[in-house]
Amino acid sequence: MSTDMSVAVGGMKLRGPVLAASGTFGYGTEVPLLERRALGAMVSKGIFLRPREGTAPPRIAETPSGMLNAIGLQGPGADALVRDYAPQWAEWDFPVLVNINGESVSEYAELTSRLDGVPGVAGFEINISCPNVEQGGMFFGNDPRAAATVTEAVRKRTKLPVWVKLTPMVSDIGVIARAVESAGADALCAINTFVGMSIDLNAYRPRLSFRTGGLSGPAIRPLAVHLAHQAARAVRIPVIGIGGIARAEDALEFLVAGCTAVQVGTATFVNPKAIAEVHDGIASFLEARAFRSLADLPRYLPRD
Amino acid sequence: MLDTPVTGKRQVARGMFVIGMHAPEIASAVRAGQFVNLGWSGGPILRRPFSVYRAEGEHIEVVLKAVGSGTGQMLAMEVGDRLSCLGPLGRGFEFGGGAREAVLVSGGLGVAPMLLAARDARVAGMKVTWVHGARTAAELCSEMDGDTVIWATDDGSQGTPGSAVAAAPDADLVIACGPNRMLAAAAERWPEAQVAVETYMGCGTGVCLGCAVPLKRGGYDRACKEGPVYRAADIDWDALPSHLPYAVVA
Repeated sequence: MSTDMSVAVGGMKLRGPVLAASGTFGYGTEVPLLERRALGAMVSKGIFLRPREGTAPPRIAETPSGMLNAIGLQGPGADALVRDYAPQWAEWDFPVLVNINGESVSEYAELTSRLDGVPGVAGFEINISCPNVEQGGMFFGNDPRAAATVTEAVRKRTKLPVWVKLTPMVSDIGVIARAVESAGADALCAINTFVGMSIDLNAYRPRLSFRTGGLSGPAIRPLAVHLAHQAARAVRIPVIGIGGIARAEDALEFLVAGCTAVQVGTATFVNPKAIAEVHDGIASFLEARAFRSLADLPRYLPRD
Repeated sequence: MLDTPVTGKRQVARGMFVIGMHAPEIASAVRAGQFVNLGWSGGPILRRPFSVYRAEGEHIEVVLKAVGSGTGQMLAMEVGDRLSCLGPLGRGFEFGGGAREAVLVSGGLGVAPMLLAARDARVAGMKVTWVHGARTAAELCSEMDGDTVIWATDDGSQGTPGSAVAAAPDADLVIACGPNRMLAAAAERWPEAQVAVETYMGCGTGVCLGCAVPLKRGGYDRACKEGPVYRAADIDWDALPSHLPYAVVA
């Protein structure tokens, strides 16, 4: 008797609740070491319409129980994605969503139109939360009207599932969550990285060339559980929890706090088998407590 | 990814140690210039990359200095302690050019890939000139492998006073590893040299894009995937950070 781990999230039926977070699994083609067996879905590295070089090094810095990154959404652009990666994704036994980015609403819209209908592209995760680009990114994510405008623009150009990845750098995540729900999002992903800074005491300057970076890893987990919970309480659409998940217990915290699924990110850098281990650990947890399916897991989600 | 025991530890210079581990698959596959990414229970959040120093039978070795808390923890390990070892990673040195002599130029911890480089150069039929430099005699790595051996120290306490780059002869094949500033000097003298660069590194497997190496033709690629070995003239040395608390050669 195996536990039913499938989930319905944001217009998709997934074989498991553990997903690969954008920017931590590349385009899924780079590394044979990465364990895909238990992958519910993969979200691609964030892409812009056109190629981007990314930021100058140093791009990463280790911090207590976490890391800062400022990659700057380096990527090959939509045409290369369609040519080089999507045909491979079309053959895989799990869906791939593309994390889409733009410096303007029209750029998000154009990118969606370019990718919609391309075999292998199963859906979109709108990135309105990247802290490491000069224009776009987080700018759209901390204003409810801008967030809704981007979501609407993407929604109009595709019938595929549209998820929206939220930034934690807001005073009330519920306001943003409701705004993008009303604008037609199928699910929310909460949360992207926190903005942080670390100083090199030998050079008397920030350790990252971009000055600031996005903080990820176990350091942010309690903050992320809280924000994902707040988002889940604010909306009816599913919330996918993200933030410092490295073990099954971490993922279960998000699920009990009201999330439908989770994404594993930074942990994959350290342990290429992290996603499979989290998936298996959740199954063991459910089995040990005689839950037949993940849907039977008790949730703590009081409605106001 | 291997869960592997530490099998030995020895000192090779002041503050510089070699740690051995049982890693049969890596030992048989590794090429000079490739690296392993090491993690351990209770260790830092990110793995630490190390060039493979030696590979014999079922064992590999890495060389390190305690430059931060992570490497400090590694040096405190004892035989039997466990390491999680990912590798071999990256693209190593190429020995297929038909050169008759290889000059291996290293500074400090840059000695890390050179024993394997000497091995692979000999397999390719080359004579090996070993050039190794450090700040002072006590910091020179005591282990070497060359038909000719040249030492260099900044303070002149052993060998040629000055840098390893300055002390080295010219050759058809020059391989260099050390601080990025030393490699920039090597690139000026030998644009065709193969150099192994040091960068910050996140995953070591090509997905995080943290180990960006700035290229002369513009843009970046990944030290962990396209590198860590590059043609010296291909790197934009002014844009490559020169001071790192830990590094692929560390």
